[in-house]
Amino acid sequence: MRMERSGHSYPPYRLKPDRALARKLMAGLGIDSDPERVPPTYMIFLRGETLGVDLFVDLDIPRQKALHGGQRYEWFEPIGWDDELAVHVKVDKIVEKQSKRGPVWFADVTFDYRRASDDKLVLRELTRLVKQS
Amino acid sequence: MSAMKAGDVLFEVTLPPAGRARLAAFSEGTQDPNPIHVDEAFAKGAGFPTVLQQGPMTTAQFARLLEEYAGAECTRVLDVFFTAPVFPEDTLVLKAEVTEISDVIRCALTANKLDGAQTAKGTAELKR
Repeated sequence: MRMERSGHSYPPYRLKPDRALARKLMAGLGIDSDPERVPPTYMIFLRGETLGVDLFVDLDIPRQKALHGGQRYEWFEPIGWDDELAVHVKVDKIVEKQSKRGPVWFADVTFDYRRASDDKLVLRELTRLVKQS
Repeated sequence: MSAMKAGDVLFEVTLPPAGRARLAAFSEGTQDPNPIHVDEAFAKGAGFPTVLQQGPMTTAQFARLLEEYAGAECTRVLDVFFTAPVFPEDTLVLKAEVTEISDVIRCALTANKLDGAQTAKGTAELKR
């Protein structure tokens, strides 16, 4: 685990909701119809992986050792289909704890989604990643 | 929502097993490249009996149900911890119970398998 990444901020990337991806997401939930509105959890850290913020690579969390500990969403304003967002990512903290199987690392990473047109914070996502030894 | 009080159950919904096809759709829809959700051999290599359902699928189901039962865009905060793995054939019971009414409505959230094993817990904060 790259403990030194604690406190690191990445250069922001841009993101727009994609209706085809939203439809797939909803199909995954068992709902086969075009969503009228952007699904509330459409914005997710995984979308950053192809846009310059691949946390698994950057924090050195191999997929087979990775667990997802949880997510926190805080909504401030609705996101429209035409909204372009600037996504600001910061590694809040990385903590190492001991378990029976060896050390386990916990990384909390915050994604701030700002509407590109007015820089207003519309959504904050916290994701909790876990690396097993 | 105005008549809600602490202790009221906002929803308790049984979700049938998602199955592998829905896991694949969810991975595609969230741009999740992790093979652990779709590749049996990879999942077994990571120590699991079969592929894992995505934790964010539980989060997304909570978000969807909160919209359905409390109203669109009523949810201010949704905080979910994934506490145990979920597999494609697992039925889940998602529950939201009101814990506090103040300037907002606070709920405790749980996701359990049919045998009672908890797979997620959390909180939600709703607009009044």
